[in-house]
Amino acid sequence: HSINVSFSTVEENEDSTFHKEHERERPRGKRRNGEREKKKRGNGRRKGASKEAGEGEEEMQVRPEKRERGKRRRAKNDQEAKGRERDEEEQTKIKSAKTTKTRKKEKSRKTEEEEGEGESEERNTKRKKKHGSAKKEEKEEDGGKRTVKEKAQDVKKKKHKKTSEESSEDNEEEDNEEKEVRPESLSPEELEKLKEAVDERKKLIQGLRGKPWPMKKKLVTLRESQEFVEKYEGALGKGKGRKLYAYKVMMTKKWMKFQRDFENFKTACIPWEMKIKEIESHFGSSVASYFIFLRWMYGINMILFGLTFGLVMVPEALMGRPYGSIPRKTVPRAEEASAMDFAVLWDWGGYAQYSVLFYGYYNSQRAIGWLKFRMPLSYFLVGVGTVAYSYMVVIRTMARNANESGVGDDNSFNFSWKMFTSWDYLIGNPETADNKFASITTSFKEAILEEQESRKDDNIHLTRFLRVLANFLVLCCLAGSGYLIYFVVRRSQKFALDGLENHTWWERNEVNMVMSLLGMFCPMLFDVISTLENYHPRVALQWQLGRIFALFLGNLYTFIIALMDEINLKREEEKIIKFNITMWEASLYNSTVSENSTAPPVTIHPADVPRGPCWETMVGQEFVRLIISDTMTTYITLLIGDFLRAVLVRFLNYCWCWDLEAGFPSYSEFDVSGNVLGLIFNQGMIWMGAFYAPCLPALNVLRLHVSMYLQCWAVMCCNVPQERVFKASGSNNFYMAMLLVILFLSTLPAIYTIVTIPPSFDCGPFSGKKRMFDVIHETLESDFPAWFSKVFSYASNPGLVLPFILLMVLAIYYLQSTSKSYKEANVELKKKLQTVK
Amino acid sequence: IPEMVSPAIALAFLPLLLTLIIRYRYYFVLFYRAILVRIWKDCVTGLTREERAYQYILTHATPGDPDSILDAFDVWCSKVEFISNIGPKKGKILDRLLMEQSPLTVLELGTHCGYSTVRIARALPLGARLYSVEMDQRNAAIAEKIIRLAGFDDDMVELIVNPSDEVIPRLRSDYGLERLDFVFMDHWKKSYCPDLQMLEGSGLLGKGSMIVADNVLFPGAPKFLRHIRKSGLYEWKIHRATLEYSKGIRDGMAELVYQGIK
Repeated sequence: HSINVSFSTVEENEDSTFHKEHERERPRGKRRNGEREKKKRGNGRRKGASKEAGEGEEEMQVRPEKRERGKRRRAKNDQEAKGRERDEEEQTKIKSAKTTKTRKKEKSRKTEEEEGEGESEERNTKRKKKHGSAKKEEKEEDGGKRTVKEKAQDVKKKKHKKTSEESSEDNEEEDNEEKEVRPESLSPEELEKLKEAVDERKKLIQGLRGKPWPMKKKLVTLRESQEFVEKYEGALGKGKGRKLYAYKVMMTKKWMKFQRDFENFKTACIPWEMKIKEIESHFGSSVASYFIFLRWMYGINMILFGLTFGLVMVPEALMGRPYGSIPRKTVPRAEEASAMDFAVLWDWGGYAQYSVLFYGYYNSQRAIGWLKFRMPLSYFLVGVGTVAYSYMVVIRTMARNANESGVGDDNSFNFSWKMFTSWDYLIGNPETADNKFASITTSFKEAILEEQESRKDDNIHLTRFLRVLANFLVLCCLAGSGYLIYFVVRRSQKFALDGLENHTWWERNEVNMVMSLLGMFCPMLFDVISTLENYHPRVALQWQLGRIFALFLGNLYTFIIALMDEINLKREEEKIIKFNITMWEASLYNSTVSENSTAPPVTIHPADVPRGPCWETMVGQEFVRLIISDTMTTYITLLIGDFLRAVLVRFLNYCWCWDLEAGFPSYSEFDVSGNVLGLIFNQGMIWMGAFYAPCLPALNVLRLHVSMYLQCWAVMCCNVPQERVFKASGSNNFYMAMLLVILFLSTLPAIYTIVTIPPSFDCGPFSGKKRMFDVIHETLESDFPAWFSKVFSYASNPGLVLPFILLMVLAIYYLQSTSKSYKEANVELKKKLQTVK
Repeated sequence: IPEMVSPAIALAFLPLLLTLIIRYRYYFVLFYRAILVRIWKDCVTGLTREERAYQYILTHATPGDPDSILDAFDVWCSKVEFISNIGPKKGKILDRLLMEQSPLTVLELGTHCGYSTVRIARALPLGARLYSVEMDQRNAAIAEKIIRLAGFDDDMVELIVNPSDEVIPRLRSDYGLERLDFVFMDHWKKSYCPDLQMLEGSGLLGKGSMIVADNVLFPGAPKFLRHIRKSGLYEWKIHRATLEYSKGIRDGMAELVYQGIK
């Protein structure tokens, strides 16, 4: 008799719900009747269309309601089985409700039908009552069979109810649509309803993406609701307001379209965007990330170029004293004959050396031209500014990337990560997709093997030995390359002492050639050696990058150390020449005085004046040569290693005894890490040399521009997608960190030379000063009011500077520790979230 | 005489040289074993490579036992000289495919010295028939001896001494074949593609016929691969493995199942 218990519990709540139920059904019945009448009048034309449009809504809104109603109905039926007294009570309630409802309605036309409907409803309930009484009797007769029969009756009733209800719902829909077609005839309530419906559709469209439906249903719903909204949005509002509303809607649509077009336009304005996207679709995101990096670098170099070109080179060329006016701006008499030879120009000697391209050409005149442009100050500030700007940009980018990367531990859920996140969705080329597929499967295999090995761990000694051996070999290689460069630089100094003209082109360019060749070939050797170590590919890539980094850095610093030796040599030479010049001037003066004291002083052509070696120009020249030879090596490698190889493989394959394409030489892959490192070190050289050769940023912009096109072309025409396709997202900040390190390491020697070595006495914008930064003092003293220089001298007092630096360090430490604690809190929260899930 | 290139620049090429040597060491080893040793032995013994292999097998294998013959072959090919057989690793894949398929009519293109013939015949069900095609007369004679040594008679294995492009069109008329259940290709890599097209044209391939081609990656049969990719007649995949008797050279064996024109 558990059923009875449940009945009684339901009974208590039933009063109110039953009441409501009837109240709700009333207007529906009314509307149905009204609809029928309309149909009779022959207005059912739009039925089909409106039904279609309404379907989506019906699905959405009616379902839960239906379910609810079903529940209620069941409860109701159960209750009916209980007894007559209750039914009578209810009927009175129903009647009262009905009357109140009818009173509310104002349209008299419909009252009749309503009443009729009310009667029918009454009849319905009476019928139900009868059933109920029958049931009661049965219950009294036989308690055991009761439940079964009752259930059967329940089902029947439900069916009956459902059909009637469905029809009423259909009618309701039609009714709604009918009304919406003619908005003028709508009452404010209905308008409100319509508005709500439209809003609901809009919400539906917005939230459709998150709904757990099949795609087909989503599409159908979306289309229908869009149609609905489009159709009835304009119907809201009346007269003037309506027009205004339609206008508004039109304008928002146009505005949206304009915004979309503008976005497209903006994308089209990003340089090389389409090229990069195309490459991305063929080669995956890692190769594309190189080109994005290249483009970013190009942007930075454009700004560096703008600074040096606009504030240093152009003012000097336009407003400074012209070529040939003073010794430092004239080719010396001895070199005049060969100053225009191509070989000399190619080595950046001759006319190229005595031009705005190099430090030595600039005059130390404090202000030039009618603008009173402070040339030396500008030169110094641009030199400092380029470096400062680079630091700022690199650090800012790093910070932004760090935010994006977030916190995540790679070790847990290894297989889940592989399973669900290893696909690169930007791949659009079947071959790359095949490769990616293969690489995922191999990565799975490797991961499983790794897992097994981490459990076995038997051959650890051999692996350790091999790793140590590999590192030893790499160190040998690094030492060898360092020694070779040192040897070559020493030899070149010897050649320089002998006089460069006595040696061949090969010997003169030995240093650059050797550096470029070593930078090209040693990474290959490292790559081969690293197969000994049996690392995971990601770890192996990091080792490889670290080794290449060490190699490049070693080469660069060997070069700089050799350059320092040369600077010292030049400075000693300068001392001698300086002494000689004073003697020469004195003799000249003496001779003029002795001959004729009243005669005007003898004018000597600037080309004949003896001059110092000007070490700054020499450093600038070295860097320019290095950049040029580096660029040439890159391009030649590209042409031979990629293009020529591809051509040979492609066309020799017709008449060769094995498959060249799939087998031995094959096509080359694009080496992302090597190229990125090359780019980074190239930039490092620019930062190092830009102070002594203002033309370097311009050259670099040219180089990057050409390499963008050349490498894009080479990648698309002669490379094949990598066998191991790496995801790029993780490595971006790694590259940035390298760039930062290189920036620091390359500014170090530049700053060292600027601060410690006095400038040449007869060339460059700082000639005649003790140190290059004296130009700031000079400016402060002569161009600013006295109080300012006083304040500045106080501020630059070590007693003030040291506490300030200390404060800064403390602030940095504080910020760092807080950020660390935040990070930890983040990780904790993440862990909590995971446990909650 | 002034030097053209300074020694330092030449030294800078040393890493490149080392890299090439280390990276392609397997190819150098292969070159040494397959070509230099062969020429040397040819000159010294006056016999062909296949004859030397036969002599070794005669002295080291049990007659009538295909397994021991295959083992002897493997030992000779990996320890003494190099012959491009299918090898033990890819042979296992072939065995598995044959077990799954249990074909009744098998065509083998390229018998060479009969290693693969013995291997296939060993795995065939009772009453199956294997037709083996070899172009070279001397190789065919040795292959015949080896097959008979392994204990397979004329009813089971039939050796056809003719170029494959002549044999295939006449298979139906001369040998009374209606359908090929299994085709194994291991002859000239250049003729993979034309022979396959010829087989398609002859109508001997039915739905479900399997074609297995060895060495599609090294030395490689690019046209063949392109053809199967484009034709759409096959369900295919490539079993990736290494070249026989060598560790570092990658090779593959193509497995094709004829689907017919849809």
